[in-house]
Amino acid sequence: MFKKLALVALSIAAIAVSGVQAGGHSKARNKTVVFDIDGGKVAQPYNFNNLVPGTTRSNGIHQAVFEPLFILNYETGGIDPWLGESFTSNSSLDVWTLKLKKGIKWSDGEDLDADDVVYTIQMLLDDSTQSLRDAASMQQWVKSVNKQDKHTVVFNLTEPNARFQLDYFSVKIYGGVIIIPEHVWKGQDPFTFKFYDKEKGWPLGSGAYTLKSASETEFIYDRNDNWWGVSQGLPLPAPERLIWAVTATEENRSMLAAKGELDSVMDVTLGAFEAMQARNDNMQAWFSELPFSWLDPCARQLSINTQAEPWDDPAMRWALNYIIDREEIVRVAYEGTTIPSMTLFVHYGGLFPYIDAVVAAGMGMRLNASPHIAQKIIESKGWTKGSDGFYQKGGKTLEFVIKTHEGFIEKRRITDVVVEQFLDAGIKAEHRPIAGATWDNDRYTGNFMGSMDWHSCGSINEPYASLNRFTAKYLKPVGTTSPGGNNYVRWDTAKSKEFTQIVDKMGAMPLNAPGMVDMVVDAYRLWYEELPFIPITQARKLIPFDTTYWTGWPTAENNYNHPATWWQSTHQIIHNLKPAK
Amino acid sequence: MLKRKSISNPWLNTPLVCGALVIGLLLSSTLIGNIFWDTELAATRSAPLNLPPYGFENMRKQEGVIEHPLGTTNSGRDMLAVMLVGTPATMSIGLIAAGIGMLIGIILGFTSGFYGGLWDDFVRLMADTTTTIPALAVLIVVQSLFRVEVNTMAAMIALFAWPGPTRYIRAQVLTMRESGYVKMAKLSGAPERDIMFKEMLPNLIPYLAASFIGNTSGAILTAIGLEVLGLGPTRMPTLGVTIFFSLEAAAILRDMWWWWGLPTLTLILIFMGLLMINVGLDEVSNPRLRKASK
Repeated sequence: MFKKLALVALSIAAIAVSGVQAGGHSKARNKTVVFDIDGGKVAQPYNFNNLVPGTTRSNGIHQAVFEPLFILNYETGGIDPWLGESFTSNSSLDVWTLKLKKGIKWSDGEDLDADDVVYTIQMLLDDSTQSLRDAASMQQWVKSVNKQDKHTVVFNLTEPNARFQLDYFSVKIYGGVIIIPEHVWKGQDPFTFKFYDKEKGWPLGSGAYTLKSASETEFIYDRNDNWWGVSQGLPLPAPERLIWAVTATEENRSMLAAKGELDSVMDVTLGAFEAMQARNDNMQAWFSELPFSWLDPCARQLSINTQAEPWDDPAMRWALNYIIDREEIVRVAYEGTTIPSMTLFVHYGGLFPYIDAVVAAGMGMRLNASPHIAQKIIESKGWTKGSDGFYQKGGKTLEFVIKTHEGFIEKRRITDVVVEQFLDAGIKAEHRPIAGATWDNDRYTGNFMGSMDWHSCGSINEPYASLNRFTAKYLKPVGTTSPGGNNYVRWDTAKSKEFTQIVDKMGAMPLNAPGMVDMVVDAYRLWYEELPFIPITQARKLIPFDTTYWTGWPTAENNYNHPATWWQSTHQIIHNLKPAK
Repeated sequence: MLKRKSISNPWLNTPLVCGALVIGLLLSSTLIGNIFWDTELAATRSAPLNLPPYGFENMRKQEGVIEHPLGTTNSGRDMLAVMLVGTPATMSIGLIAAGIGMLIGIILGFTSGFYGGLWDDFVRLMADTTTTIPALAVLIVVQSLFRVEVNTMAAMIALFAWPGPTRYIRAQVLTMRESGYVKMAKLSGAPERDIMFKEMLPNLIPYLAASFIGNTSGAILTAIGLEVLGLGPTRMPTLGVTIFFSLEAAAILRDMWWWWGLPTLTLILIFMGLLMINVGLDEVSNPRLRKASK
């Protein structure tokens, strides 16, 4: 038994100290930037084929190696060029012309040009399964793609789309379509190719860094001093080495940051940030005082499988909505650092005309609960409360299981509160945190009742993107994968079809065109009446940076862009860093 | 020189009494507490957040309140309720798993040792094979995919807890079946079931008790290993899950010692208590140990 005791004690200690030991790497600490990765160990660390769902790209590969064409600047509202120089449309918005910068090279010295772009898009168009990342959206919009010259690509769209560049090539949220090297991928099976071979220098990107090593818990990238930008007069980024490390619990991440062993920490709770600051004066966040946080564009929501009984009935989903007390969720799960969602949209300036119109039309979400209304609805459907306090009908108890990703603390904490609210109201609710890959698969294939997630994420400065995700064109039967992770709540009614018609019309109009507000209100009403998912809270992200070794991190004052270091826009952050000493 | 009392009750040895007292006190206090305290307060959002125990201050200089005498967590769980729910839950995982494991062990161990032959070969092979399966790894996979509740978790741990008792009991039965009283019982026509469970089993009781306690500790350890990884029940947490939540929320860094300290202390007491009982039972079943310790 002592052996077992010692073993468990050791494994607990190992968990507590797992993660980065940046001092142990050969590069000097002041030449290295250490980022953390949340969500637990990386499931497929040697698979860099990010077209395949289930692979990870925020392990540094899309922040440092795979460069985007453009980057949406959340602060200016404009689109900053990166590999792309310009992306313009004709007046009818159905032909888009991409001009690449000159002199771009893959890190093996080959040119990155129009051929690679055409090859990438054509591969996505040819995927009849629509399971490759971005295949569904490219097939929705792109009729054909052609090379005009070495640096120019022309996209002929299936119908007008004012958001074509913004939605798919500008790191609007998380990442854009990744351009892949034709000379490496040609002849490979895009579904099984892993894009990893150390000797051949794969994964191959055009960024200023190349992969040095990968494991389930750590990814190391070294600077490529032959980066193409240098020949074009751009400066090399200052850090010589970048490390992305899985840092496990908030305790561990906070300890490492407090000791100066992590330069960039993903979202933490307010209490942890305060404790970090108390021990390390150089910790900073987006704001220098409360609420410290930056508003993430993916508002949190309770997704409901609209094909699963008895939640296929909109009235029952409304009952759930009446039970949810958003203010209590903010107070308990976020310790007061965020705000409840008023609509399905994120609270950004460009969306407020729509949010205001929806709220003015009487469709704003309630802050507090009205469980008595919920109970009336449930009872009107024939459910009666049993002796155990739960609703029953025909010998069946009214159950609601919410699945969450076990690695995401924020979503788990929201769910814990929601489950208590449901239990109080007589619904036998259960919170089931499961492995991330299983959770993804379950959501996309419709194997869930409820899921705490951010399914409506999409709109930043215009309303179409979020609404479009729930249109009927993405419907797939339960058991098959929802294309692009869209409409996995499987909203499929007469109203959803009407909703789709309005949203499709919006898609063909220029951004924020006149009349758009009224169309949003009309579409929103159809959605609101059937409530295929329930908006919960805005997602504030408290992202700490340590300025002990590196300065130049994005803040509300130094706001060259937002601070989400797990997005592909992190290329910008890395190029802005300066050594502190 | 006074002659030592030659007949003393071996069950009243010091380690056994102390261990039983520790475990008994823990169990009885939690059971009594369950009657007088609202254990639903162990659920999230039941209390104000981050309060220290009564008489202490937290990092934000908030004082503890008597309504939550052991403080609260960052999700508003009352720590007293958490301890009252978590302690028996943690111990019950051990007892259920060890109980099932022991029961299977007794049945398989006795029948294989007594009858021998093909059945014996089969049981031995199964026990040897199961011993080589890394239980924790299997349980981690199952828990991350399906997330089962406390009793099912105990049953799963039991799946790996039977080979130990089976092998030991079989070995003992192999020896005992050659002894005079067993042969006599056979000759006098006693049914085999009676020979196994009425003649032989009573001789093994001290050992079985010690083995049961050892298995209980082992099962609790396995469960804690799973829980500290976050793979335990979430609504009404066990002690291991409470430690996981506290680590996840940086409780050590935030000086919230009541959150990680209380479950850790209770676990230490549980393991010390079980260890002492085990040592005490060893003395009961092994007279040579008894002499050595006098």
